[in-house]
Amino acid sequence: MSAETVKVGIISCSGEEIPGGAISRLAARRVLELLRPNSTVTICLPLFLAGNEAEQDFARTHPTIVVDGCDKRCAKWGTEQYSGPVNAALVVEDVIGADRLSKCHRSLRNQNADDEEAVRILADRISEEVDAILAMENGAAIENASPKECVCSCSSPIPASLLTIDGERVEIPGLMLIFEQCMKKEVSMGEKGSEELLRTVQVYHPIETDKEPAYREALMNAYREYFRSHQFVPLSSIR
Amino acid sequence: MNGKTVLVIPCSGMGKVHGLIGREATYMAVEDLAPDRADTICLAMLVKGEPAALTTVRKHTCITLDGCPKACARKNVEMAGGEVAKAIRIVDAFRNHRGAQPGTATTLAEDGWVIAREIAENVVEEINRICKGMEDMQ
Repeated sequence: MSAETVKVGIISCSGEEIPGGAISRLAARRVLELLRPNSTVTICLPLFLAGNEAEQDFARTHPTIVVDGCDKRCAKWGTEQYSGPVNAALVVEDVIGADRLSKCHRSLRNQNADDEEAVRILADRISEEVDAILAMENGAAIENASPKECVCSCSSPIPASLLTIDGERVEIPGLMLIFEQCMKKEVSMGEKGSEELLRTVQVYHPIETDKEPAYREALMNAYREYFRSHQFVPLSSIR
Repeated sequence: MNGKTVLVIPCSGMGKVHGLIGREATYMAVEDLAPDRADTICLAMLVKGEPAALTTVRKHTCITLDGCPKACARKNVEMAGGEVAKAIRIVDAFRNHRGAQPGTATTLAEDGWVIAREIAENVVEEINRICKGMEDMQ
């Protein structure tokens, strides 16, 4: 699959009986329509059973994120059973919290600011998963093996990491320490977070102004991967 | 289900307005118009083969609402061993609303709510027919 053609599949449970299903579906739509319109596709979950072979091949032909409205995890189970393994599995309550979910509604007629907030939070999280998958697919993975050492301003050696930025391999001192601190500070995966990452890296690593956008993107991709590798829960453990 | 007679099961349509209309029509029917006689259930649970969902579907008369010709709701209920008393296709409701602007897969416009209401009323007519048939048999 080439980098240009990779589209991440998002499959929401859509659970018609519960508010979590509505939130999962609306968040998926928000990602598809607003947040990552050019890099995501979807399919209705029940189509795996009712559809043809091409439809059942969905998760085999797309890196896939499933979003479940409750802990029965029907979307994850159904997708893996009929289509193929998934790359990420989210449950609404785990992402937005039980308190927030308890204020949500299943019908559009009743939805209010609480539902909108829940959808926004979940959609942002789905987008982060999309970005992480695309970063992996596009080979923006950080190369962290065999770190070299350089000298920081206080003369203490700190490990450096290699990052590919605009096609060039760049050595960035203390990147893992920066990521570790950012994770502890819960630096976001959004625009604000990428700005904070850039400014922090700039302390020890001069960056030309015209290269800032490329650095910002590469740093955020690497940070997402670092975050995932330090948060990752094997799918086998949540069956 | 607590003694409710009919299960109204919409599809999980994600891509077009039709799926959303089917779901909102379902909520109108089971929450507003016939809350004592009808309920709904997640279609995804049937896909998963959740034992409780399979039992519920097999024990109740079902009305399905499908947003596209794939008819996922009807097919999944049938595959689960349920009885589909009425299979409603949302697209059929549009025949009386040429040129309607129903909204999107995410939100309904005024026309969409009108169509949803109309479908909900049809669903309730069917619910009433099923309930009456059961009463007559007793």
